[in-house]
Amino acid sequence: MSLIIDNISFSYGDRPILSGLSLEVPTGTTTAVVAPSGSGKSTLLRIIAGLIAPSTGSIILDGKDLSRVPTHLRSIGMVFQDNQLFPHLNVYDNVMFGLRMAKTEKTIAAKRCRDLLDLVGLSSVAKQSVATLSGGESKRVALARALAPSPRLLLLDEPLTGLDSELHDRLAHDLQRILHATSTTALLVTHSLPEAEIISDSLHRLPTAVDSVQDGEKK
Amino acid sequence: MVSHRLEMKIRNVRIFAIPAAMLVFVTAVIPLIVLATSVIDRADIFSIWTKSPVQRALVFSLWQALLSTVFTIFLGVIATWYLSRYQFLGRRTFIALVTVPFVLPTVAVGAAFIAVLPKSLHHSTLAIVLAHIFFNISIVVRTVGPRWNSIDDQLIDSARTLGASPLQTWRHVIMPLGKNAVFSATALTFFMCFTSYGIITILGGPGLATLDIEIYRRAVQLGDLSGATVLAIAQMLLIAIAFLLWSRSRSTELIAFRVQAVSHRRLSLAPKCFFLALAAFFTMPLLALVAASMRTSHSWSLKGWKVFLGIQNQRGIDFNMWQAIQTSGKYALIASCIALPTGIAATYALSNRRSSQSRLSALVILPLAISPVVVGLAILITYDFQPFDFRSSWLLIPVVHAAIALPFVMRSALPVVDGIPNDLRSAASTLGAGPWRRFFTVELPLLKPAISTGSAFSTAMSLGEFGATSFLTRRESRTIPIIIASLFGKAGEIPRTTGMVASLVLIVLTAMIVVTIDRKSHI
Repeated sequence: MSLIIDNISFSYGDRPILSGLSLEVPTGTTTAVVAPSGSGKSTLLRIIAGLIAPSTGSIILDGKDLSRVPTHLRSIGMVFQDNQLFPHLNVYDNVMFGLRMAKTEKTIAAKRCRDLLDLVGLSSVAKQSVATLSGGESKRVALARALAPSPRLLLLDEPLTGLDSELHDRLAHDLQRILHATSTTALLVTHSLPEAEIISDSLHRLPTAVDSVQDGEKK
Repeated sequence: MVSHRLEMKIRNVRIFAIPAAMLVFVTAVIPLIVLATSVIDRADIFSIWTKSPVQRALVFSLWQALLSTVFTIFLGVIATWYLSRYQFLGRRTFIALVTVPFVLPTVAVGAAFIAVLPKSLHHSTLAIVLAHIFFNISIVVRTVGPRWNSIDDQLIDSARTLGASPLQTWRHVIMPLGKNAVFSATALTFFMCFTSYGIITILGGPGLATLDIEIYRRAVQLGDLSGATVLAIAQMLLIAIAFLLWSRSRSTELIAFRVQAVSHRRLSLAPKCFFLALAAFFTMPLLALVAASMRTSHSWSLKGWKVFLGIQNQRGIDFNMWQAIQTSGKYALIASCIALPTGIAATYALSNRRSSQSRLSALVILPLAISPVVVGLAILITYDFQPFDFRSSWLLIPVVHAAIALPFVMRSALPVVDGIPNDLRSAASTLGAGPWRRFFTVELPLLKPAISTGSAFSTAMSLGEFGATSFLTRRESRTIPIIIASLFGKAGEIPRTTGMVASLVLIVLTAMIVVTIDRKSHI
């Protein structure tokens, strides 16, 4: 039981972004895909989440092909590069969002929400507007929000980009701890090898076929 | 030192608001005070409400405004959603098509709906509601569009990854983010429909009169100035109270006039059909107007055009069209020349001050809610006696037009003026530009978009203004809208056809001016 990415290809118009990518993420572990910017990492995550459809290939989660399952029914959480917190909701309600969508029973949802805020160390700012948060805090809220509905798979898109170096290292360790504590199956994409090494259990480099062709041509 | 002091003075630019304040003072504040204190016969304050035409007008005003608002918001919200989030063929044209009607002359649009609707619907609530939708959808697109346009696609994606279905995404993300803007648009649409006058003059009829029409009827036709004044003040108070409640509970969002580019998404079949229908709704009345201008009841004929151009005489039609076009053009030019500098100066004075920001936006919206008919009546009463017999001066009309255009000029200028970074001013100063020099070499060029949008607006407003003008007009200085209304008031089909011609000319004239002056920013 795991996530299987099977022979995924994708192109924007004539420009190939991913071609024939296959990958497996075992349940309960964090797998990192390390690749330079512009190599289609985000595209890969968007395909897995069902936000865009691949040209070929399939995404199989726990033995089920997701091709025809719309995003909101996939139970795949995602932490976006720039967090995408809902500006009209406070910290608590941001974390509650997924639980509300799933119509989780109120007392259970509230407890889950408090536990997660504890886990990411933000209980004290629960009622604050998300506009008042620092970069690191926003990232933690985004993480707690994605974890709240207990997704079967968590996608992390460059989760630590844009943070200053001290915060970056601390958050990388926090992230590793939290993913472990919740035994979340996670797929992380990043351009930073050290970051991937701290957070993930296993590691893939992604010099895609497309990239090597382009590189080859350049050389 | 001297230059430093001058600098301080210029920074303290509140004085720049004085001309605008004076304009508003002379054309609105004084007249409204005079109106409130002068001619009322105390008995009327209560007795007027027992008169059945007044009651009918009140009920009808509310009823048609409610109906118009509900449909406008419903259709407007759907249109705005797709226009602000999807890329499709003809999107830009459509934005223009939807947003231009707002500046078109009300009486001429009324005529276009006469032209397109079957005779049985000419003077009906349905016709009025349709015309109001035609006008006010642009309020929704302009107010809500920029708000939704600025929502990051990924924010919606993140809602989806959290398990929100498309419907839940609408309810919990998109609507809450657009809520204030939708609310503003709803209030503004309601105000506009409630105080609708030009449209109702053409499309109304017995039993289809709004409060504004009743005010005009009392003041001008019945000579009951006291009764008209009571109604005018009541309407003003009602709107002012509603407005204050509204602006207190919500942040008053300014209308933004641009809809930005969007990421690539394609429309599915249902919205495509919706837009086709809407495109037909916006173009049919205008096409029908073209046809109607060349038709008498049974055959094609250019009689209307001949009468309009003065080639053929017609009994009962006593105007000279060239003179009317000249009058309208002259007024529009003068109104722009007054509204533009005063408006931009005032915006300058009040921008970049957070404390005054919200008050400014309220101040700028308020005149929209005061009916031009009430202003016209107030001016009529105020300046009709010595030594202030301004009313005999034709200059009064363009000055009033300028005052009506002022909020629009300020509204389109505000984002531009606010968008000039203070550091840019500082940079110019450190490069040795004095405050005035800096204004002319740095700021004025940056103000260009505001100037073009502002002048397009004030010109269009003046060309189409009907409410206030109908009170102040003189026989020898009638504007095109006044002539259109009088033509539709006459019996017989030649006056009507001529009215269609005049409406078409006015619409084309307005649209051309707006498009030429302000090609880039879809107002």
